[in-house]
Amino acid sequence: MPGHGSRITSVFLWWGALVLTGSLIGCVEAVPQDVIEAVENIDRDLMELRAAEFSPNDYAQFAHQWMALKSRVQADEDLIRWPWESNDLEVALRRLQEEGSRTVARLTKERESLRRSAESKIAHVEDRFRMMTAQVSAIDSRLVLGQKPVEADLLIKQAHAFYEQGEYDRSLDASERAAQNLAMQAALLSNELGRYGNRDRISRWQQMAKDTITWSRMHRTSAIVVSKADRMLTLYRNGQKVLSYPVRLGFNGIREKRHQGDGATPEGRYRISGKRGEGQTRFYRALVLDYPNEEDRRRYRIDQRTGQIPASQAIGGQIEIHGVENELMAQTLGCVMLDNPQMALLFDRVDKGTPVTIVGALHEQNSVALTLAMLGIQREET
Amino acid sequence: MYTRSTLLPVICALLMLTACAKPPTEQIAAAEKAVAEAQQSGAATYVADEYAKIEGTLAALKKEMSDQDGKLALFRDYGKVEQLAATAKGEAERVKAEATKKKEEMKAAALQAQQVAQEAVTATLALVAKAPTGKDRAAVESIKADAEALKASLNQVQEAIDAADYSAAQTKAKAIHEKSQAVSGEIEAALSKIGKGKPSAAKKK
Repeated sequence: MPGHGSRITSVFLWWGALVLTGSLIGCVEAVPQDVIEAVENIDRDLMELRAAEFSPNDYAQFAHQWMALKSRVQADEDLIRWPWESNDLEVALRRLQEEGSRTVARLTKERESLRRSAESKIAHVEDRFRMMTAQVSAIDSRLVLGQKPVEADLLIKQAHAFYEQGEYDRSLDASERAAQNLAMQAALLSNELGRYGNRDRISRWQQMAKDTITWSRMHRTSAIVVSKADRMLTLYRNGQKVLSYPVRLGFNGIREKRHQGDGATPEGRYRISGKRGEGQTRFYRALVLDYPNEEDRRRYRIDQRTGQIPASQAIGGQIEIHGVENELMAQTLGCVMLDNPQMALLFDRVDKGTPVTIVGALHEQNSVALTLAMLGIQREET
Repeated sequence: MYTRSTLLPVICALLMLTACAKPPTEQIAAAEKAVAEAQQSGAATYVADEYAKIEGTLAALKKEMSDQDGKLALFRDYGKVEQLAATAKGEAERVKAEATKKKEEMKAAALQAQQVAQEAVTATLALVAKAPTGKDRAAVESIKADAEALKASLNQVQEAIDAADYSAAQTKAKAIHEKSQAVSGEIEAALSKIGKGKPSAAKKK
Protein backbone atom coordinates (compact mmCIF):
# COMPACT_ATOMS: atom_id res chain seq x y z
CA MET A 1 0.00 0.00 0.00
CA PRO A 2 2.75 2.54 0.73
CA GLY A 3 4.12 1.78 -2.75
CA HIS A 4 0.74 2.56 -4.37
CA GLY A 5 0.47 5.87 -2.44
CA SER A 6 3.88 7.04 -3.53
CA ARG A 7 3.02 6.24 -7.18
CA ILE A 8 -0.14 8.37 -6.95
CA THR A 9 1.88 11.20 -5.40
CA SER A 10 4.43 10.87 -8.14
CA VAL A 11 1.74 11.04 -10.88
CA PHE A 12 0.23 14.15 -9.25
CA LEU A 13 3.63 15.77 -9.07
CA TRP A 14 4.27 15.04 -12.74
CA TRP A 15 0.90 16.43 -13.78
CA GLY A 16 1.44 19.51 -11.61
CA ALA A 17 4.84 20.13 -13.16
CA LEU A 18 3.40 19.71 -16.66
CA VAL A 19 0.54 22.14 -15.99
CA LEU A 20 2.89 24.68 -14.43
CA THR A 21 5.31 24.46 -17.36
CA GLY A 22 2.45 24.83 -19.85
CA SER A 23 1.08 27.82 -17.98
CA LEU A 24 4.45 29.50 -17.83
CA ILE A 25 4.97 29.01 -21.58
CA GLY A 26 1.49 30.51 -22.19
CA CYS A 27 2.33 33.50 -20.01
CA VAL A 28 5.49 34.61 -21.87
CA GLU A 29 3.80 36.69 -24.58
CA ALA A 30 1.86 39.49 -22.89
CA VAL A 31 0.57 40.88 -26.25
CA PRO A 32 0.63 38.85 -29.47
CA GLN A 33 3.23 40.23 -31.85
CA ASP A 34 0.85 40.08 -34.82
CA VAL A 35 -1.45 42.69 -33.22
CA ILE A 36 1.44 45.10 -32.75
CA GLU A 37 2.59 44.55 -36.31
CA ALA A 38 -0.95 45.10 -37.59
CA VAL A 39 -1.15 48.47 -35.80
CA GLU A 40 2.30 49.41 -37.09
CA ASN A 41 1.12 48.62 -40.62
CA ILE A 42 -1.91 50.86 -40.14
CA ASP A 43 0.41 53.63 -38.99
CA ARG A 44 2.48 53.13 -42.15
CA ASP A 45 -0.68 53.25 -44.28
CA LEU A 46 -1.77 56.48 -42.61
CA MET A 47 1.67 58.00 -43.18
CA GLU A 48 1.55 57.00 -46.84
CA LEU A 49 -1.83 58.69 -47.05
CA ARG A 50 -0.18 61.77 -45.47
CA ALA A 51 -2.99 61.69 -42.95
CA ALA A 52 -1.08 63.95 -40.55
CA GLU A 53 -1.10 66.70 -43.21
CA PHE A 54 -4.51 66.21 -44.76
CA SER A 55 -6.54 64.97 -41.83
CA PRO A 56 -4.54 66.04 -38.76
CA ASN A 57 -7.32 65.34 -36.26
CA ASP A 58 -7.76 61.76 -37.42
CA TYR A 59 -4.05 61.10 -37.33
CA ALA A 60 -3.59 62.83 -33.96
CA GLN A 61 -6.34 60.66 -32.50
CA PHE A 62 -4.68 57.51 -33.82
CA ALA A 63 -1.17 58.59 -32.82
CA HIS A 64 -2.24 59.50 -29.29
CA GLN A 65 -3.83 56.11 -28.73
CA TRP A 66 -0.99 54.26 -30.41
CA MET A 67 1.69 56.02 -28.37
CA ALA A 68 -0.21 55.40 -25.14
CA LEU A 69 -0.59 51.70 -25.95
CA LYS A 70 2.98 51.41 -27.20
CA SER A 71 4.27 52.71 -23.89
CA ARG A 72 2.13 50.10 -22.14
CA VAL A 73 3.43 47.37 -24.47
CA GLN A 74 6.99 48.34 -23.61
CA ALA A 75 6.18 48.41 -19.89
CA ASP A 76 4.34 45.06 -20.06
CA GLU A 77 7.08 43.25 -21.94
CA ASP A 78 8.46 41.62 -18.78
CA LEU A 79 5.13 40.87 -17.17
CA ILE A 80 3.93 37.31 -16.73
CA ARG A 81 0.28 36.84 -17.36
CA TRP A 82 -1.77 33.75 -16.70
CA PRO A 83 -3.70 32.41 -19.66
CA TRP A 84 -7.03 32.87 -17.88
CA GLU A 85 -6.19 36.43 -16.96
CA SER A 86 -7.96 39.05 -19.18
CA ASN A 87 -5.54 41.09 -21.35
CA ASP A 88 -6.83 44.68 -21.52
CA LEU A 89 -3.84 45.83 -23.53
CA GLU A 90 -4.43 43.29 -26.28
CA VAL A 91 -8.12 44.22 -26.36
CA ALA A 92 -7.22 47.91 -26.64
CA LEU A 93 -4.69 47.21 -29.41
CA ARG A 94 -7.19 45.13 -31.36
CA ARG A 95 -9.74 47.95 -30.98
CA LEU A 96 -7.16 50.47 -32.25
CA GLN A 97 -6.39 48.13 -35.15
CA GLU A 98 -10.08 48.05 -36.08
CA GLU A 99 -10.54 51.82 -35.70
CA GLY A 100 -7.29 52.46 -37.60
CA SER A 101 -8.38 50.17 -40.45
CA ARG A 102 -11.64 52.06 -40.70
CA THR A 103 -9.78 55.39 -40.69
CA VAL A 104 -7.43 54.18 -43.43
CA ALA A 105 -10.40 53.03 -45.53
CA ARG A 106 -12.28 56.29 -44.98
CA LEU A 107 -9.27 58.54 -45.67
CA THR A 108 -8.37 56.53 -48.79
CA LYS A 109 -11.89 57.09 -50.06
CA GLU A 110 -11.91 60.78 -49.12
CA ARG A 111 -8.51 61.32 -50.70
CA GLU A 112 -9.53 59.62 -53.91
CA SER A 113 -12.66 61.74 -54.00
CA LEU A 114 -10.58 64.88 -53.43
CA ARG A 115 -8.15 63.82 -56.16
CA ARG A 116 -11.01 63.36 -58.60
CA SER A 117 -12.49 66.75 -57.68
CA ALA A 118 -9.12 68.43 -58.18
CA GLU A 119 -8.60 66.67 -61.51
CA SER A 120 -12.07 67.59 -62.72
CA LYS A 121 -11.78 71.22 -61.56
CA ILE A 122 -8.45 71.66 -63.33
CA ALA A 123 -9.86 70.19 -66.54
CA HIS A 124 -12.96 72.40 -66.30
CA VAL A 125 -11.11 75.64 -65.61
CA GLU A 126 -8.49 74.83 -68.24
CA ASP A 127 -11.18 74.27 -70.85
CA ARG A 128 -12.80 77.58 -69.97
CA PHE A 129 -9.44 79.34 -70.07
CA ARG A 130 -8.66 77.95 -73.52
CA MET A 131 -12.12 78.83 -74.79
CA MET A 132 -11.95 82.33 -73.36
CA THR A 133 -8.48 82.93 -74.81
CA ALA A 134 -9.72 81.88 -78.23
CA GLN A 135 -12.85 84.01 -77.99
CA VAL A 136 -10.98 87.05 -76.69
CA SER A 137 -8.41 86.65 -79.43
CA ALA A 138 -11.15 86.36 -82.06
CA ILE A 139 -12.54 89.75 -81.10
CA ASP A 140 -9.06 91.28 -80.52
CA SER A 141 -9.86 92.23 -76.95
CA ARG A 142 -6.82 90.73 -75.20
CA LEU A 143 -5.59 94.13 -74.02
CA VAL A 144 -8.89 94.96 -72.35
CA LEU A 145 -8.06 92.26 -69.81
CA GLY A 146 -4.69 93.66 -68.70
CA GLN A 147 -2.76 91.22 -66.50
CA LYS A 148 -5.68 88.92 -65.78
CA PRO A 149 -5.04 86.28 -68.49
CA VAL A 150 -1.48 85.73 -67.27
CA GLU A 151 -2.66 85.54 -63.66
CA ALA A 152 -5.21 82.88 -64.63
CA ASP A 153 -2.60 80.94 -66.58
CA LEU A 154 -0.22 80.99 -63.60
CA LEU A 155 -2.97 79.79 -61.25
CA ILE A 156 -3.80 76.89 -63.56
CA LYS A 157 -0.13 75.95 -63.75
CA GLN A 158 0.03 76.08 -59.94
CA ALA A 159 -3.07 73.91 -59.70
CA HIS A 160 -1.32 71.33 -61.89
CA ALA A 161 1.85 71.47 -59.79
CA PHE A 162 -0.06 71.02 -56.52
CA TYR A 163 -2.00 68.15 -58.07
CA GLU A 164 1.23 66.41 -59.09
CA GLN A 165 2.52 66.80 -55.53
CA GLY A 166 -0.64 65.18 -54.16
CA GLU A 167 -1.73 68.45 -52.53
CA TYR A 168 -5.26 68.15 -53.88
CA ASP A 169 -6.84 70.71 -51.56
CA ARG A 170 -4.33 73.36 -52.64
CA SER A 171 -4.82 72.33 -56.25
CA LEU A 172 -8.55 72.84 -55.84
CA ASP A 173 -7.95 76.22 -54.22
CA ALA A 174 -5.71 77.38 -57.09
CA SER A 175 -8.27 76.15 -59.65
CA GLU A 176 -11.03 77.94 -57.81
CA ARG A 177 -9.06 81.19 -57.85
CA ALA A 178 -8.40 80.70 -61.56
CA ALA A 179 -12.15 80.23 -62.11
CA GLN A 180 -12.84 83.45 -60.17
CA ASN A 181 -10.23 85.22 -62.29
CA LEU A 182 -11.98 84.03 -65.48
CA ALA A 183 -15.32 85.25 -64.12
CA MET A 184 -13.70 88.64 -63.47
CA GLN A 185 -12.34 88.68 -67.03
CA ALA A 186 -15.82 88.02 -68.37
CA ALA A 187 -17.20 90.82 -66.20
CA LEU A 188 -14.44 93.18 -67.35
CA LEU A 189 -15.13 92.41 -71.00
CA SER A 190 -18.82 92.90 -70.44
CA ASN A 191 -18.16 96.24 -68.76
CA GLU A 192 -15.72 97.47 -71.44
CA LEU A 193 -17.46 96.09 -74.51
CA GLY A 194 -21.05 95.91 -73.34
CA ARG A 195 -22.01 98.61 -75.83
CA TYR A 196 -21.66 96.02 -78.62
CA GLY A 197 -24.67 94.27 -77.13
CA ASN A 198 -26.58 97.44 -76.32
CA ARG A 199 -29.63 97.85 -78.60
CA ASP A 200 -29.77 101.66 -78.31
CA ARG A 201 -26.11 101.96 -79.16
CA ILE A 202 -26.44 99.59 -82.10
CA SER A 203 -29.47 101.57 -83.32
CA ARG A 204 -27.38 104.75 -83.19
CA TRP A 205 -24.57 103.05 -85.12
CA GLN A 206 -27.09 101.74 -87.67
CA GLN A 207 -28.47 105.26 -88.03
CA MET A 208 -24.98 106.69 -88.55
CA ALA A 209 -24.31 104.14 -91.31
CA LYS A 210 -27.73 104.81 -92.84
CA ASP A 211 -27.08 108.58 -92.85
CA THR A 212 -23.74 108.02 -94.57
CA ILE A 213 -25.30 105.82 -97.25
CA THR A 214 -28.12 108.35 -97.74
CA TRP A 215 -25.56 111.13 -98.10
CA SER A 216 -23.76 109.05 -100.75
CA ARG A 217 -27.01 108.60 -102.65
CA MET A 218 -28.06 112.23 -102.35
CA HIS A 219 -24.69 113.60 -103.41
CA ARG A 220 -24.18 110.85 -106.01
CA THR A 221 -20.71 110.18 -104.66
CA SER A 222 -18.66 107.73 -102.58
CA ALA A 223 -18.86 107.02 -98.85
CA ILE A 224 -17.18 104.49 -96.61
CA VAL A 225 -18.61 102.58 -93.63
CA VAL A 226 -16.34 100.55 -91.36
CA SER A 227 -17.80 98.06 -88.90
CA LYS A 228 -15.30 97.25 -86.14
CA ALA A 229 -17.11 94.12 -84.89
CA ASP A 230 -17.26 92.68 -88.41
CA ARG A 231 -13.81 94.05 -89.29
CA MET A 232 -15.25 95.05 -92.62
CA LEU A 233 -14.94 98.16 -94.77
CA THR A 234 -17.72 98.84 -97.28
CA LEU A 235 -17.54 101.38 -100.06
CA TYR A 236 -20.81 102.88 -101.28
CA ARG A 237 -21.34 104.74 -104.52
CA ASN A 238 -24.60 106.62 -105.10
CA GLY A 239 -25.98 104.84 -102.04
CA GLN A 240 -25.15 101.40 -103.47
CA LYS A 241 -22.66 98.96 -102.03
CA VAL A 242 -19.70 98.79 -104.41
CA LEU A 243 -17.24 96.64 -102.55
CA SER A 244 -16.52 95.17 -99.11
CA TYR A 245 -13.06 94.36 -97.80
CA PRO A 246 -11.87 92.79 -94.56
CA VAL A 247 -9.75 95.13 -92.44
CA ARG A 248 -7.38 94.99 -89.51
CA LEU A 249 -7.76 97.48 -86.66
CA GLY A 250 -5.58 98.92 -83.89
CA PHE A 251 -4.00 96.51 -81.41
CA ASN A 252 -6.71 97.63 -79.01
CA GLY A 253 -9.06 98.47 -81.85
CA ILE A 254 -12.24 97.03 -80.43
CA ARG A 255 -12.25 99.73 -77.75
CA GLU A 256 -13.43 103.28 -78.12
CA LYS A 257 -10.50 105.61 -78.81
CA ARG A 258 -9.88 107.96 -75.89
CA HIS A 259 -6.34 109.22 -76.18
CA GLN A 260 -3.04 108.94 -77.97
CA GLY A 261 -1.29 105.58 -77.76
CA ASP A 262 -4.27 103.57 -76.55
CA GLY A 263 -4.21 101.44 -79.72
CA ALA A 264 -7.97 101.92 -80.15
CA THR A 265 -9.67 102.69 -83.45
CA PRO A 266 -12.01 105.70 -83.20
CA GLU A 267 -15.77 105.52 -83.80
CA GLY A 268 -17.57 108.44 -85.39
CA ARG A 269 -18.25 110.42 -88.55
CA TYR A 270 -15.07 111.47 -90.34
CA ARG A 271 -13.96 112.63 -93.74
CA ILE A 272 -10.88 111.92 -95.80
CA SER A 273 -8.69 114.95 -95.20
CA GLY A 274 -5.82 113.87 -97.40
CA LYS A 275 -4.63 111.20 -99.81
CA ARG A 276 -1.06 109.88 -99.71
CA GLY A 277 -0.01 108.07 -102.80
CA GLU A 278 3.09 106.11 -103.68
CA GLY A 279 6.20 107.53 -102.01
CA GLN A 280 4.16 109.68 -99.63
CA THR A 281 3.51 106.98 -97.03
CA ARG A 282 5.23 103.92 -95.59
CA PHE A 283 1.96 102.03 -95.81
CA TYR A 284 1.63 101.63 -99.57
CA ARG A 285 -1.29 104.10 -99.89
CA ALA A 286 -3.03 106.05 -97.16
CA LEU A 287 -6.28 107.95 -96.69
CA VAL A 288 -5.87 110.39 -93.82
CA LEU A 289 -8.98 110.92 -91.67
CA ASP A 290 -9.90 114.13 -89.88
CA TYR A 291 -9.65 112.50 -86.44
CA PRO A 292 -10.12 114.03 -83.88
CA ASN A 293 -13.42 115.61 -84.85
CA GLU A 294 -15.44 117.95 -82.63
CA GLU A 295 -17.24 115.07 -80.91
CA ASP A 296 -13.90 113.36 -80.16
CA ARG A 297 -12.52 116.57 -78.64
CA ARG A 298 -15.62 117.07 -76.51
CA ARG A 299 -15.42 113.54 -75.10
CA TYR A 300 -11.65 113.89 -74.58
CA ARG A 301 -12.18 117.09 -72.55
CA ILE A 302 -14.84 115.37 -70.39
CA ASP A 303 -12.55 112.39 -69.79
CA GLN A 304 -9.73 114.71 -68.75
CA ARG A 305 -12.01 116.72 -66.46
CA THR A 306 -13.35 113.56 -64.80
CA GLY A 307 -9.85 112.16 -64.42
CA GLN A 308 -10.46 109.17 -66.67
CA ILE A 309 -7.35 110.10 -68.60
CA PRO A 310 -4.33 112.04 -67.28
CA ALA A 311 -4.14 115.76 -68.04
CA SER A 312 -0.79 115.27 -69.77
CA GLN A 313 -2.23 112.68 -72.16
CA ALA A 314 -2.71 113.96 -75.73
CA ILE A 315 -5.77 113.14 -77.82
CA GLY A 316 -3.75 111.62 -80.68
CA GLY A 317 -4.18 111.88 -84.43
CA GLN A 318 -2.91 110.64 -87.81
CA ILE A 319 -5.65 108.04 -88.06
CA GLU A 320 -5.63 106.62 -91.56
CA ILE A 321 -7.05 103.94 -93.79
CA HIS A 322 -3.88 102.48 -95.19
CA GLY A 323 -2.16 99.52 -96.77
CA VAL A 324 0.43 97.19 -95.29
CA GLU A 325 4.04 98.08 -94.67
CA ASN A 326 4.96 94.57 -93.55
CA GLU A 327 2.74 91.75 -94.81
CA LEU A 328 3.02 89.96 -91.47
CA MET A 329 1.78 92.89 -89.40
CA ALA A 330 -1.40 91.78 -87.66
CA GLN A 331 -2.56 95.03 -86.15
CA THR A 332 -2.12 98.78 -86.30
CA LEU A 333 -1.79 101.49 -83.67
CA GLY A 334 -5.39 102.58 -84.23
CA CYS A 335 -5.73 102.86 -88.02
CA VAL A 336 -7.79 100.78 -90.41
CA MET A 337 -5.54 98.57 -92.52
CA LEU A 338 -6.31 96.78 -95.79
CA ASP A 339 -4.26 94.42 -97.91
CA ASN A 340 -2.40 96.37 -100.59
CA PRO A 341 -4.31 95.21 -103.71
CA GLN A 342 -7.59 96.17 -102.05
CA MET A 343 -6.12 99.42 -100.81
CA ALA A 344 -5.12 100.27 -104.36
CA LEU A 345 -8.69 99.76 -105.57
CA LEU A 346 -10.18 101.78 -102.74
CA PHE A 347 -7.62 104.56 -103.10
CA ASP A 348 -8.61 105.16 -106.68
CA ARG A 349 -12.35 105.29 -105.91
CA VAL A 350 -12.43 107.94 -103.19
CA ASP A 351 -11.54 111.61 -102.97
CA LYS A 352 -10.58 114.14 -100.37
CA GLY A 353 -13.79 114.91 -98.45
CA THR A 354 -15.30 111.42 -98.83
CA PRO A 355 -17.19 110.62 -95.63
CA VAL A 356 -15.90 107.71 -93.55
CA THR A 357 -18.18 106.46 -90.80
CA ILE A 358 -16.64 104.05 -88.30
CA VAL A 359 -19.09 102.20 -86.07
CA GLY A 360 -18.80 99.48 -83.45
CA ALA A 361 -21.34 97.14 -85.01
CA LEU A 362 -24.21 97.12 -87.45
CA HIS A 363 -26.14 94.12 -86.11
CA GLU A 364 -27.29 92.98 -82.70
CA GLN A 365 -25.86 89.53 -83.40
CA ASN A 366 -22.35 90.88 -83.93
CA SER A 367 -19.23 88.88 -83.05
CA VAL A 368 -18.47 90.86 -79.89
CA ALA A 369 -22.03 90.64 -78.55
CA LEU A 370 -22.12 86.91 -79.26
CA THR A 371 -18.81 86.39 -77.50
CA LEU A 372 -19.98 88.40 -74.49
CA ALA A 373 -23.19 86.38 -74.34
CA MET A 374 -21.23 83.14 -74.44
CA LEU A 375 -18.85 84.32 -71.73
CA GLY A 376 -21.82 85.37 -69.62
CA ILE A 377 -23.27 81.87 -69.84
CA GLN A 378 -19.93 80.37 -68.88
CA ARG A 379 -19.67 82.74 -65.94
CA GLU A 380 -23.03 81.54 -64.68
CA GLU A 381 -21.84 77.94 -65.00
CA THR A 382 -18.86 78.71 -62.78
CA MET B 1 2.08 46.18 22.10
CA TYR B 2 4.60 47.65 19.77
CA THR B 3 7.30 49.66 21.35
CA ARG B 4 8.56 52.93 20.00
CA SER B 5 11.81 51.23 19.02
CA THR B 6 10.01 48.65 16.85
CA LEU B 7 7.79 51.21 15.05
CA LEU B 8 10.58 53.65 14.27
CA PRO B 9 12.29 51.61 11.48
CA VAL B 10 8.92 50.96 9.82
CA ILE B 11 8.03 54.67 9.82
CA CYS B 12 11.48 55.55 8.52
CA ALA B 13 11.16 53.01 5.71
CA LEU B 14 7.74 54.39 4.76
CA LEU B 15 9.03 57.94 4.76
CA MET B 16 11.97 56.93 2.58
CA LEU B 17 9.67 55.21 0.14
CA THR B 18 7.38 58.26 0.02
CA ALA B 19 10.32 60.56 -0.42
CA CYS B 20 11.63 58.51 -3.34
CA ALA B 21 8.34 58.62 -5.33
CA LYS B 22 8.56 62.24 -6.39
CA PRO B 23 7.34 63.21 -9.88
CA PRO B 24 10.19 63.82 -12.35
CA THR B 25 9.21 67.45 -12.90
CA GLU B 26 12.54 68.47 -14.39
CA GLN B 27 12.49 65.68 -16.98
CA ILE B 28 8.87 66.51 -17.83
CA ALA B 29 9.69 70.22 -18.20
CA ALA B 30 12.67 69.34 -20.39
CA ALA B 31 10.48 67.09 -22.57
CA GLU B 32 7.79 69.78 -22.89
CA LYS B 33 10.41 72.38 -23.80
CA ALA B 34 11.87 70.08 -26.45
CA VAL B 35 8.41 69.43 -27.92
CA ALA B 36 7.63 73.17 -27.96
CA GLU B 37 10.92 73.83 -29.74
CA ALA B 38 10.15 71.11 -32.28
CA GLN B 39 6.80 72.73 -32.93
CA GLN B 40 8.42 76.16 -33.36
CA SER B 41 10.85 74.67 -35.86
CA GLY B 42 7.89 73.77 -38.07
CA ALA B 43 7.76 70.06 -37.19
CA ALA B 44 3.94 70.06 -37.39
CA THR B 45 4.28 71.13 -41.04
CA TYR B 46 7.42 69.43 -42.26
CA VAL B 47 7.32 66.12 -40.32
CA ALA B 48 3.66 66.14 -39.34
CA ASP B 49 3.27 62.42 -38.59
CA GLU B 50 6.34 62.21 -36.38
CA TYR B 51 5.33 65.34 -34.53
CA ALA B 52 1.84 63.94 -33.94
CA LYS B 53 3.42 60.85 -32.38
CA ILE B 54 5.50 62.97 -30.05
CA GLU B 55 2.37 64.78 -28.97
CA GLY B 56 0.85 61.33 -28.39
CA THR B 57 3.79 60.36 -26.23
CA LEU B 58 3.43 63.59 -24.28
CA ALA B 59 -0.26 62.90 -23.77
CA ALA B 60 0.54 59.35 -22.56
CA LEU B 61 3.09 60.85 -20.18
CA LYS B 62 0.53 63.23 -18.73
CA LYS B 63 -1.99 60.48 -18.27
CA GLU B 64 0.54 58.25 -16.54
CA MET B 65 1.53 61.18 -14.34
CA SER B 66 -2.10 61.79 -13.46
CA ASP B 67 -2.64 58.06 -12.74
CA GLN B 68 0.34 58.00 -10.42
CA ASP B 69 -0.68 61.23 -8.70
CA GLY B 70 -4.05 59.63 -8.01
CA LYS B 71 -2.46 56.76 -6.09
CA LEU B 72 -1.48 56.72 -2.44
CA ALA B 73 1.97 58.16 -2.02
CA LEU B 74 3.23 54.81 -0.89
CA PHE B 75 2.28 53.12 -4.14
CA ARG B 76 3.37 55.82 -6.59
CA ASP B 77 5.90 54.86 -9.23
CA TYR B 78 7.06 57.49 -11.70
CA GLY B 79 9.42 55.21 -13.55
CA LYS B 80 7.21 55.02 -16.62
CA VAL B 81 6.75 58.80 -16.57
CA GLU B 82 10.50 59.24 -16.60
CA GLN B 83 10.83 56.81 -19.46
CA LEU B 84 8.15 58.58 -21.48
CA ALA B 85 9.70 61.98 -20.75
CA ALA B 86 13.06 60.73 -21.97
CA THR B 87 11.45 59.27 -25.13
CA ALA B 88 9.50 62.47 -25.83
CA LYS B 89 12.56 64.65 -25.33
CA GLY B 90 14.82 62.49 -27.49
CA GLU B 91 12.25 62.21 -30.27
CA ALA B 92 11.43 65.93 -30.14
CA GLU B 93 15.09 66.82 -30.55
CA ARG B 94 15.45 64.43 -33.48
CA VAL B 95 12.25 65.69 -35.13
CA LYS B 96 13.27 69.31 -34.59
CA ALA B 97 16.54 68.66 -36.42
CA GLU B 98 14.70 66.87 -39.20
CA ALA B 99 12.09 69.63 -39.55
CA THR B 100 14.77 72.31 -39.60
CA LYS B 101 16.62 70.40 -42.32
CA LYS B 102 13.50 69.89 -44.42
CA LYS B 103 12.46 73.51 -44.00
CA GLU B 104 15.89 74.71 -45.09
CA GLU B 105 15.82 72.39 -48.08
CA MET B 106 12.39 73.66 -49.13
CA LYS B 107 13.44 77.26 -48.57
CA ALA B 108 16.56 76.73 -50.67
CA ALA B 109 14.49 75.11 -53.43
CA ALA B 110 11.98 77.99 -53.33
CA LEU B 111 14.74 80.61 -53.46
CA GLN B 112 16.38 78.85 -56.37
CA ALA B 113 13.07 78.63 -58.23
CA GLN B 114 12.51 82.32 -57.48
CA GLN B 115 15.90 83.22 -58.93
CA VAL B 116 15.29 81.15 -62.05
CA ALA B 117 11.89 82.83 -62.49
CA GLN B 118 13.40 86.30 -61.96
CA GLU B 119 16.06 85.63 -64.58
CA ALA B 120 13.46 84.36 -67.03
CA VAL B 121 11.26 87.42 -66.49
CA THR B 122 14.26 89.74 -66.84
CA ALA B 123 15.14 88.04 -70.13
CA THR B 124 11.53 88.39 -71.32
CA LEU B 125 11.42 92.08 -70.40
CA ALA B 126 14.72 92.60 -72.22
CA LEU B 127 13.21 91.02 -75.32
CA VAL B 128 10.17 93.29 -75.01
CA ALA B 129 12.47 96.31 -74.75
CA LYS B 130 14.20 95.22 -77.95
CA ALA B 131 10.91 95.31 -79.83
CA PRO B 132 10.71 98.18 -82.36
CA THR B 133 8.77 101.31 -81.54
CA GLY B 134 6.13 102.91 -83.69
CA LYS B 135 3.93 100.92 -86.05
CA ASP B 136 5.84 97.67 -85.67
CA ARG B 137 5.34 97.70 -81.94
CA ALA B 138 1.67 96.84 -82.33
CA ALA B 139 2.35 93.15 -82.80
CA VAL B 140 4.03 92.83 -79.41
CA GLU B 141 1.66 95.04 -77.40
CA SER B 142 -0.34 92.18 -75.92
CA ILE B 143 2.82 90.20 -75.25
CA LYS B 144 4.20 93.22 -73.44
CA ALA B 145 1.13 93.17 -71.19
CA ASP B 146 1.88 89.52 -70.43
CA ALA B 147 5.49 90.31 -69.56
CA GLU B 148 4.40 93.08 -67.21
CA ALA B 149 1.97 90.66 -65.56
CA LEU B 150 4.78 88.16 -65.03
CA LYS B 151 6.93 90.85 -63.45
CA ALA B 152 4.11 91.72 -61.06
CA SER B 153 3.60 88.04 -60.20
CA LEU B 154 7.16 87.79 -58.89
CA ASN B 155 5.99 89.76 -55.85
CA GLN B 156 3.65 86.91 -54.95
CA VAL B 157 6.61 84.52 -54.87
CA GLN B 158 8.38 86.80 -52.40
CA GLU B 159 5.21 87.08 -50.32
CA ALA B 160 4.95 83.29 -50.12
CA ILE B 161 8.62 83.04 -49.10
CA ASP B 162 8.10 85.71 -46.44
CA ALA B 163 5.14 83.70 -45.13
CA ALA B 164 7.37 80.55 -45.11
CA ASP B 165 4.97 78.89 -47.55
CA TYR B 166 7.81 77.46 -49.61
CA SER B 167 5.64 74.97 -51.45
CA ALA B 168 3.42 77.76 -52.82
CA ALA B 169 6.48 79.92 -53.57
CA GLN B 170 8.10 77.13 -55.54
CA THR B 171 5.02 76.23 -57.59
CA LYS B 172 4.36 79.91 -58.34
CA ALA B 173 7.97 80.54 -59.34
CA LYS B 174 8.00 77.49 -61.59
CA ALA B 175 4.74 78.60 -63.21
CA ILE B 176 6.21 82.08 -63.82
CA HIS B 177 9.35 80.56 -65.30
CA GLU B 178 7.35 78.33 -67.62
CA LYS B 179 5.05 81.14 -68.72
CA SER B 180 7.95 83.54 -69.12
CA GLN B 181 9.68 81.17 -71.49
CA ALA B 182 6.48 80.82 -73.49
CA VAL B 183 6.11 84.62 -73.69
CA SER B 184 9.75 84.98 -74.76
CA GLY B 185 9.07 82.47 -77.51
CA GLU B 186 6.06 84.50 -78.65
CA ILE B 187 8.10 87.70 -78.67
CA GLU B 188 10.85 86.11 -80.72
CA ALA B 189 8.27 84.78 -83.16
CA ALA B 190 6.61 88.22 -83.38
CA LEU B 191 9.96 89.94 -83.88
CA SER B 192 10.94 87.53 -86.60
CA LYS B 193 7.58 88.18 -88.30
CA ILE B 194 8.12 91.91 -88.17
CA GLY B 195 11.54 91.46 -89.67
CA LYS B 196 14.71 93.38 -89.16
CA GLY B 197 13.56 96.56 -90.83
CA LYS B 198 14.55 99.80 -89.22
CA PRO B 199 12.27 100.93 -86.39
CA SER B 200 9.57 103.33 -87.44
CA ALA B 201 9.42 106.78 -85.95
CA ALA B 202 6.73 107.17 -83.30
CA LYS B 203 3.63 108.78 -84.68
CA LYS B 204 0.48 110.20 -83.22
CA LYS B 205 -2.40 107.72 -83.18
